[in-house]
Amino acid sequence: MKNPHNWRYSLVSSLLFILPVLIVLQMLRIKINTQQVDKLISEGKSLSGEYRTITPARGRIYDRWGHLLAGNRTAYEVGIELRKVKNPSTIAQTLNMVLGTDFAEALGAASMNATDTAVYRVVASNVESEKIDQLKALIEQMDALYGNSRDKDAPSLNGLMFEPHLKRTYPDNELASNILGFVTIEGVGFYGIEEKYNDLMAGEESIVWVSLDPVRVKELPEIHKGADVVLTIDRAIQRSMERVIDKAIDEHGAESGTLVVIDPETGEMLAMATTPRLDINKYWKYGEVFTDETPFNRVVSQAYEPGSVFKVFTMAAALDSGSVTPETEFIDTGVFEIGGTRIYNWNMGAWGPQNMQGCMQHSLNVCLAWVATQVGPKDFYRYMMSFGIGQLSGIDLAGEVSGRLKVPGDDDWYDADLGTNAFGQGVSVTPLKMASAISALANKGKIMAPHVVRSVINDGFQHDIEHRTVGMPIKPETAETITKILSRSLEKESSDALVTGYQVAGKTGTAEIPTPFGYTTNETNASFVGWGPVDDPQFLVYVWLERPESSPWGSVVAAPVFREAVEELVVLMDIPSDDVRQKLYGQ
Amino acid sequence: MDRIDNITQVYTQAPWRKQLQFIGLFSLILVFIALVAGIYLNVSAQTAKAGREIQYKKSQIETLDREIEDMQSMLAHLLSDSLMEKRAIGLGYESLEINQAQYLLVPGYIERKAVVLAPFTRENLAEAPVIPDKFTEPLIEWIRKQAGWISFSLPEVVP
Repeated sequence: MKNPHNWRYSLVSSLLFILPVLIVLQMLRIKINTQQVDKLISEGKSLSGEYRTITPARGRIYDRWGHLLAGNRTAYEVGIELRKVKNPSTIAQTLNMVLGTDFAEALGAASMNATDTAVYRVVASNVESEKIDQLKALIEQMDALYGNSRDKDAPSLNGLMFEPHLKRTYPDNELASNILGFVTIEGVGFYGIEEKYNDLMAGEESIVWVSLDPVRVKELPEIHKGADVVLTIDRAIQRSMERVIDKAIDEHGAESGTLVVIDPETGEMLAMATTPRLDINKYWKYGEVFTDETPFNRVVSQAYEPGSVFKVFTMAAALDSGSVTPETEFIDTGVFEIGGTRIYNWNMGAWGPQNMQGCMQHSLNVCLAWVATQVGPKDFYRYMMSFGIGQLSGIDLAGEVSGRLKVPGDDDWYDADLGTNAFGQGVSVTPLKMASAISALANKGKIMAPHVVRSVINDGFQHDIEHRTVGMPIKPETAETITKILSRSLEKESSDALVTGYQVAGKTGTAEIPTPFGYTTNETNASFVGWGPVDDPQFLVYVWLERPESSPWGSVVAAPVFREAVEELVVLMDIPSDDVRQKLYGQ
Repeated sequence: MDRIDNITQVYTQAPWRKQLQFIGLFSLILVFIALVAGIYLNVSAQTAKAGREIQYKKSQIETLDREIEDMQSMLAHLLSDSLMEKRAIGLGYESLEINQAQYLLVPGYIERKAVVLAPFTRENLAEAPVIPDKFTEPLIEWIRKQAGWISFSLPEVVP
């Protein structure tokens, strides 16, 4: 007898047979179609996890006392996830209203069709947290009002995404900007410390696979944070020096000003104030501030002919080589001929019999040219090279230039150059090189490597940078002798550089500016270098005012700037006046 | 012959008893599989939960790292030189002039030193804590140590 339910059994068994056959067929179909295999594998991968770029926080920059000069803060990238967009117009209007994004551009981005390759579009970068808070509030409001609406055209901010990241911030804005440099949105450091130590501070970016499947979550690899850097710069001194130089520029109508403070005993830079300065939080305004070929930091990147401040090297070489003594007499006739070139004094006058003290005190070009001939070209240039003139100082800042010292044997060196180089003409140096080289006179003949970084903190450990001696161009006795000569010179001249209560040594400089048509007569570079206290030098200050209008003379415009700087310095550095110090030491 | 049949019949289990045994065995296997599956599910669920927690903690760490950076920068801004000066002037302070400074010799005064933000190189550190062996050694080794057995290496016993 035939079972009336047999057809059911047949149906079930057929289904049970067909189903695996279909599965096997599908598997074969997929397996044969390699393109689809790849697509499915990639789709599977994209659903199971994602590659994520982990950018470590950039290392911070501190001043010598631990004040933060460069740190990081959260900023956002605003983007649109194309698949989720419901109303492009609302997104464009909102972005235009809150972020100021161009409406047409935002509308175009939000209206794009999502494809396999186009899923996300960035519409704004570096957006501040406050703006993101506004956008989030608007999203919440819209959700509350239109979230359940069935109207296709209902306002909606669906698809708007925010991705947080860290961006560089400089709490003191312009302060020490020329030393710090800046970091662009791409995370690349430009100029100063940011460029020099970019690799160290940026840390190592890493791309890791992050599984979205919680069962397969693996520990992310340890990403090392960028190294922190502690500078030798003292924030208070830096600010004070910036004020002093800004005031000097205003008072004297100078084109630019530069003021360097260095500790001659260690080579640590305490301040580097120069103009122009940029608010490095708005680094994109670089082009507006640094027009033409203006260097970012004149201290290291602009070489110039320093004029009479250079005489300290000539006199140091002569005293050290024994070519002259402080008592050596020279009769100044007002003119000195060397290599067919006539050299005159700054006032075109003849100063009669002078010893070396007088030559330096009155800054006599004629005398110093003669002194250089007494040293002889071979020894003169040997001394200049041992002072490092014409060479890089090797400071840990980006963009240093070396300047130029012509030496016998160079195609463009002539006998007359010995005479003109003796008083700082025909030779170019950076303010940093001048300060660093002259620091030998304040440090018993030794030049310490100038540096801006004091310590590096990497992997949780602090490494202090050791002070290095880079040369000893003169003997300690010579350094002492010339310091005395220069100190007496200031006192005898009743110089504007003198600081009440503190004995300082120094030298003025006034240099005509070389042009393609010869030297200028009405425009000068006014400089002053000084250090103190003479019995225990703790600072060396180098001042340079470019093309001052009030007076061309370094003694009139640069010397008072030195005094003002030192008056601030001794307070900030807790240096008591000479008599107080001697009294205290005596106790 | 009948006798033999009788004996076979006596010792042959009834069909219902056989079915019951089969069902019992099947149920036992089923229960065992269910037990294993249950344990597996439980462990998987715990792993997944732990995984989610790790993901959440990682995301929290990232957020906290960013917040720390934000706070540090905010603090630095509040303590920036220009703001501090404004605040000081607001409180009635004035800049010290060179002739206003008075210096005293204070016994025991230690000069201000440059900032130290982290310990110096590793060599200066006390020895870092080491994870006890019991957390890293194989179980067998641990049992052997606990039992007080003397572990020896092969070369020691081979003449």
